[in-house]
Amino acid sequence: MLSHNFIFDNSIPFKEKARRVFELQKEHNLVYHRFCKAMGSEEIASVKDIPLLPIEAFKEAEIVTPKKENGELPDVWFQSSGTSRMVRSKHFISDPGLYRGSILKGMNQFYDLEDYVIWAYTPRYNENPHSSLIWMLRTLIEEDHTRLSKFLELDKPLDEKSLKEITKSGKKLMLFGAAFGFLDLIEMADQKLPPDTIVMETGGMKTHRLEISKVELHQKLAKGFGLPKSQIHSEYGMTELLSQAYSFGDEWFACVPWMNVSIRDPKNPMKEVDFGEEGLIGIIDLANLYSCSFMLTGDKGIHREDGKFQVLGRWNPKNLRGCNFLIERD
Amino acid sequence: MKEISTHIDLVKEALEEWLSSENASLQESKEKTISEGLFSLQDVEHQLSVFRKNLASNDIEQWIDRAGLNDQLNARGQKVLCLHAGNLPLVGFQTAVGTILAGADYYGKLSQKDPYLLASFLDEVKKQNPNQEIQFSTDLESFRNLEADKVVFAGSDESVPEVKEKIREFNAATSSAKYIVRTAKYSVCFLGKVNTANIKKLTEAMLRYGGKGCRSVAAVVSEHKLDKVKGELEKSIQEYWKENPQHKKPGPNLRYKYAYNYALDKSQLWLQDFLIQESEGMPGSDFTVNWMQGDLKKIEQLKQRYGAKIQSIYTAGKKVSGFDVEDLKYAQSPFLYWKPDGMDTIEQLIEESS
Repeated sequence: MLSHNFIFDNSIPFKEKARRVFELQKEHNLVYHRFCKAMGSEEIASVKDIPLLPIEAFKEAEIVTPKKENGELPDVWFQSSGTSRMVRSKHFISDPGLYRGSILKGMNQFYDLEDYVIWAYTPRYNENPHSSLIWMLRTLIEEDHTRLSKFLELDKPLDEKSLKEITKSGKKLMLFGAAFGFLDLIEMADQKLPPDTIVMETGGMKTHRLEISKVELHQKLAKGFGLPKSQIHSEYGMTELLSQAYSFGDEWFACVPWMNVSIRDPKNPMKEVDFGEEGLIGIIDLANLYSCSFMLTGDKGIHREDGKFQVLGRWNPKNLRGCNFLIERD
Repeated sequence: MKEISTHIDLVKEALEEWLSSENASLQESKEKTISEGLFSLQDVEHQLSVFRKNLASNDIEQWIDRAGLNDQLNARGQKVLCLHAGNLPLVGFQTAVGTILAGADYYGKLSQKDPYLLASFLDEVKKQNPNQEIQFSTDLESFRNLEADKVVFAGSDESVPEVKEKIREFNAATSSAKYIVRTAKYSVCFLGKVNTANIKKLTEAMLRYGGKGCRSVAAVVSEHKLDKVKGELEKSIQEYWKENPQHKKPGPNLRYKYAYNYALDKSQLWLQDFLIQESEGMPGSDFTVNWMQGDLKKIEQLKQRYGAKIQSIYTAGKKVSGFDVEDLKYAQSPFLYWKPDGMDTIEQLIEESS
């Protein structure tokens, strides 16, 4: 079996790590094994030949590498948000330590966590123990030994006194929350934050059908919190991933070194589209060592040469069934 | 202007002339269509044979009766702009015939993917009835400042605003023009008895035109699981393809879908160029049919979920009450007066116009 250190070791090229994780999962993950077989991708010449498993597999099957012979599943699992009637993704976590490592090492790639106090304007861990985001926030909060980091009470304005304490401690605030939660917060009261604060928006626009663009949302948040737009950051993560990507004041996300995002041709997901062209977001997340690291999402995105990418919402399949008159085609 | 009955006779004559095997214009348009690879010969021939049957069965007379078209109630003096899509051969034919029969002035934006066949029919109508206003082009801009009274087209939620914007930009229709927009995409088969005859009908209903039409069966509801029917279905499909080779091939994403189903051990019939899979709802891609085990409740659920996106519900070997259903054998051989989106083209055009 491969170790955590192997995944996070930046001295080993990503391609080499990806190949070895592919070999492991192809052999020991039953679902992925069958997928590769049906795709005719049991042998690959390069990382580009690795087939990406459609992410909805997490809704329909137990994606575990390797699965115990007695069929026993890990005790820790994350579930995507949604109503009880919806089919939701379930991600079994064989090694929570690997997720913890990915969270801390990942954040430290972009921020010096020592400098920050983490506030989470989200439900608490005991209210939603199967949320991968809340598990991540709890990890970050526990990592701060000043005890200034915490889950905030929802539907209450931010406490001025606590904000002053952070400033006094010499640390900076990093405020996490979902888009709709932040909008509620800035509507509730005048919420000017210390000038060196980072606001980390964690998505949730799709779930709550917010009808504003990401750019408009960030403008509103910047104005509402009294911060420059460059300090409104975003996190791109999901139940099915144990790594996250971050954006820093604009719409371009950067990946951690053990994660790779490519934009795939919806007509042929084995093929990457050109830079700037829209397609399906494909992800290799090596932190998913014990589930599946090679995934094709249903998100629409674009990418650029330096590896950064944008998320443009959900991909709507252009199903031409029926007599659909299209200006460009007809 | 002639009486509407005389006008109808002229249209019928044009149709008869155009559909006759000696019609040079039709032959030429067919040859061009086939040689340019736009559609398969078998699909074009099938479409033409359906129209010939329609004509022989007096579908025109029945359509006129059903729509209530007469000297008082007709669409004379109206400018009707028809935008024809080109997913299957002659897909706009029924709309064009209906518009012309109703007495309206016809302006057709023909599909670049099907530019010859309908044009040859329209030329024939012009020849038979020089007073009938008929203009057509493959370029929408040709209808700049037309200021049509009505616009007919098939679209989707995504394409409708764009098309309307283009029409506004070209002033192709008046600001108060009535839009007759069709959005139906799928048809469903409620399959009863599984026997050779019904499987054959189902095969044609799924595969004709590569399954691209809104009348093509996109989902099957049956009391049987796919695994039980799979063998017979595959045999029937292979037989069908011997006579009607699939013209357009799916992209590699269909193999992706197959591989995903295989990975999750889902029941499916993988045919390389077509996929029938046990899955709920309507398929999200072309060349795919979803198979669902269920009864009338399942049909009701589909109707509730997809609403106007469902064109037709067919049955074969099953008596159904409480639903508006068609016999499966008519899926790809509809009457000339079939109602796209449940709307009669002539009725729509003569409404509020007398």
